[in-house]
Amino acid sequence: MSAKDHFIIIGNGPAGNNAAEVLRENDKKARISIISTESFSFYYRHRLKDFISGRIPAEDLVVKHYSEYKDKNIRLRLGQFVEKIDPEKKILYLKHMEKINYTKLIIATGGSPRILPSLTIFQDYLTMFSTYSDTVGLRHRIEKAKEIVVLGGDLTSFSFVKSLVKACKKVSFLLFNDAFWPISLTSEMILKIEENLKSHNVATFFNDSVEMIKKSKSKYTIETKQNNKIKSDIIISLMGMIPNIRFILGSSIDTDRGVLVDAYLRTNFKDIYAAGDCAQIYNPILKNYWVSIGWMNAEEQGKIAALNLLGDSKIIEPPKEEIFEYEGIKVNTSWWKKF
Amino acid sequence: MSNTDIVLEICGSAGEGTISSGEIFNRYISSIDFEIMSFDTYPSEIRGFGKCVAHSRFSTQKIFTPGKYTDILIALNDAHSISQLGHLKDTGVVIYDSKPPKYHEEDKSIVGWMEPGMISYGIPFNDLAQKAAGNSRGRNMVALGAVCALFGVDHEEFKNTIIQRYAKKKQIVIDNNVNSFVEGYNWANDNLTKIDSISFKKGKNKNEKESIIINGNQAVAKAAIDSELHLYAGYPITPATKIMEILSHELPKKNGIMLQTEDEISAIGNVLGAGFAGKRSMTATSGPGFALMTEFMGLSVMAQIPAVIVNSQRGGPSTGLPTKTEQSDFNAAVNGGTGDLPRFVIAPASVEECYDGTTLAFYLAEKYQTLVVILLDFFLSNSIRNIDEPTPPTEKMLNSNIAPNEKELKDYVRFKETKTGVSPRSIPGTPNGMYTTTGLENNERGKPQYDGKLHTKMSDMRYRKLNSALNDVPKPKWTGPKKDIDVGILSWGSSAGAAYEAATIANKNGHRVAVLSSLVVFPVNEVDLTKFCNESKQILIPELNYSGQYANFIASYINRPVERLNMVSGLPMASEDVLSKIDEMIAS
Repeated sequence: MSAKDHFIIIGNGPAGNNAAEVLRENDKKARISIISTESFSFYYRHRLKDFISGRIPAEDLVVKHYSEYKDKNIRLRLGQFVEKIDPEKKILYLKHMEKINYTKLIIATGGSPRILPSLTIFQDYLTMFSTYSDTVGLRHRIEKAKEIVVLGGDLTSFSFVKSLVKACKKVSFLLFNDAFWPISLTSEMILKIEENLKSHNVATFFNDSVEMIKKSKSKYTIETKQNNKIKSDIIISLMGMIPNIRFILGSSIDTDRGVLVDAYLRTNFKDIYAAGDCAQIYNPILKNYWVSIGWMNAEEQGKIAALNLLGDSKIIEPPKEEIFEYEGIKVNTSWWKKF
Repeated sequence: MSNTDIVLEICGSAGEGTISSGEIFNRYISSIDFEIMSFDTYPSEIRGFGKCVAHSRFSTQKIFTPGKYTDILIALNDAHSISQLGHLKDTGVVIYDSKPPKYHEEDKSIVGWMEPGMISYGIPFNDLAQKAAGNSRGRNMVALGAVCALFGVDHEEFKNTIIQRYAKKKQIVIDNNVNSFVEGYNWANDNLTKIDSISFKKGKNKNEKESIIINGNQAVAKAAIDSELHLYAGYPITPATKIMEILSHELPKKNGIMLQTEDEISAIGNVLGAGFAGKRSMTATSGPGFALMTEFMGLSVMAQIPAVIVNSQRGGPSTGLPTKTEQSDFNAAVNGGTGDLPRFVIAPASVEECYDGTTLAFYLAEKYQTLVVILLDFFLSNSIRNIDEPTPPTEKMLNSNIAPNEKELKDYVRFKETKTGVSPRSIPGTPNGMYTTTGLENNERGKPQYDGKLHTKMSDMRYRKLNSALNDVPKPKWTGPKKDIDVGILSWGSSAGAAYEAATIANKNGHRVAVLSSLVVFPVNEVDLTKFCNESKQILIPELNYSGQYANFIASYINRPVERLNMVSGLPMASEDVLSKIDEMIAS
């Protein structure tokens, strides 16, 4: 590779950072840029719940400081949005009206909060979070709140409730087991979760759903289908993630729920790769696409994408024992059992 | 209530209304009783080729410097503004055009270079200006509208300031500017969520006091008019030209004359001619022009003709750095010229002192019949302050010539020896007051004579005038502790502001730091200087030149080592620069 090469990674999570590290280790001359919509440097996303509930300061979120990128001659562009890609001309168009040329590209944009279709009409009343910037104002609101309702549809919701309880909040939990992400909960699992939450004085609503949400001044009232009325200062909705690929649509890069890539993490365009939560990976043995979630999977994929970008031919192997079926797609998780 | 202290920069290309929008913002913020210190930088080139920056500091407390680090940067031109990010605070705000006519090329967008913690607000300057006026000329006003919305500035009152600013223009110009401003204000209110904590709401109530917004050059011109200047002769040169521009329209109103000469030699020649005729006269120039004037400076001293020269220093030597500030003409001002050449050198430290120093210059020149050099610099010439209406010169200052009395006129001796060294001067046309004078050494009656005894006597007389004047000029200003001083700062000219602020902070931090600065830097008030130095454990001399010209000069008076802080970056000295040197000295 030469100094004229410009490798760009879109996304500053574990996949993007691992990719950048591997690229720099193997190519000292190329220009390497990371573009991230987030204004905060690389951080532990799974610690956000503890930050929001006031249990840890922002410094404890940081994985890598801005200066560390400079030290490795990696240009980190924070708070910048890629609006579209021209894969033919190899140009990225940024929202702030800058165009950037690349020679090779890795898409590692992760996911953003999913909202259930049944809750869309109440969207203005719901608070979701998946990034640091989502949490900055929320931390203050949580601090002031006494009663909090969590609409739980993913594994993060359980651990978030625990953080709130430790912060002495009065918590109500509505479980959305039919739409749970990324796995289907068994009745045995549900019972265990309910038992666990109740032991922490959490009010649980497990076979119920939202009928109406009303707001009066700064207080919300959730009316459920089983005629329960739950008061709340904030309603947090945690329903899993959907891949961040909207900016790719219309670019001729193949997508489904995520960016479609082969086992080498290559897209249908030469020199464009995808890794992490935003990628949908084809497995010739399964004869299907699968997605993965979780930090370690993302790191591994970032590394593989970078090596292949540099000319290697590594295949990403899904660990079969941790694959689940979700809406017809195979899902690989490697972290959820820790909760 | 905590103080508000905000540094705002507007950066754009020449012709984009950068400086005028800064001026309008200053004018309004001044009206709500903020202290203002502003400094504009601009290119010498014509429209479209250069970078302009309107830099302003607004504070609810007394300030002396324009502030080194910026809180708000308005980028009217992305490519020019990128380098301004270098001194944007870690949590500073950038306001930029989110919808320029085309995409910026890679690395030419300011947002692309922002660092974590910095905040950006994108506003479609171009689109909104087009909507308001059908062209993009009002982009600067759109930006000001957004600033008012974001930072709590009363937009109705602000609108009036825009109207006043363009009052002499056609109605369509006023309307286009106001409409563009309103578009920016409304758009920002409707579309932006404020995520910074900067606010102008802490400004005091409406300023009822009579204050004016004025820069150093304007203060000099105003003082010259108030001092009954009769002739200005000059040749344009950055950064002094503005003085000439102002006087070109103000002097004729007072039956004065503004004469643009073919060069600086002619300019100073005209000044001496008018001075000889008993009329107050001056010229203003910069380093290269000042160099040309040195021969006539000698004539002023030898023939004892009042003359006032303003030298607004810029980066040198030679034509140097026309639009950068420096204090490197100290040697030329104090020592320039041939032979023993006693003169006064006045170095204002602030815009207020530009006024006071100029009125003093005319007084001294006339009373002591000699040359007075006023040393400004690029920063001070362009430094804008809101100041109280200055006190005009007294009758005594306006009529300071010591004329011969009737008895003396019976046998008039132009260069008669006196105790003070000042001989009564008759104005040409005074009956029985005729005399001749040349650049040659002369006897008391003005007749050329070269013997050593006479030359010694006349030299002594010319220098004696300076000593006599020491009681006639303001004493050096001593701020801070009077005893047991850890660091004593000897400061001169525009760097004194940074010294005051640094000393204030250092003293709050528990140190004992004092500043001595003098409006009249030559002749030296040795009594106060010695006393100050005796009370100071260490002496620091900060100045904007490479060789430490003032430090070298003062060393011969105080006969002890001094610490130097010399900078030639082209920028004014900042309190942070001086403070860091103080800390270093105290720690050592």
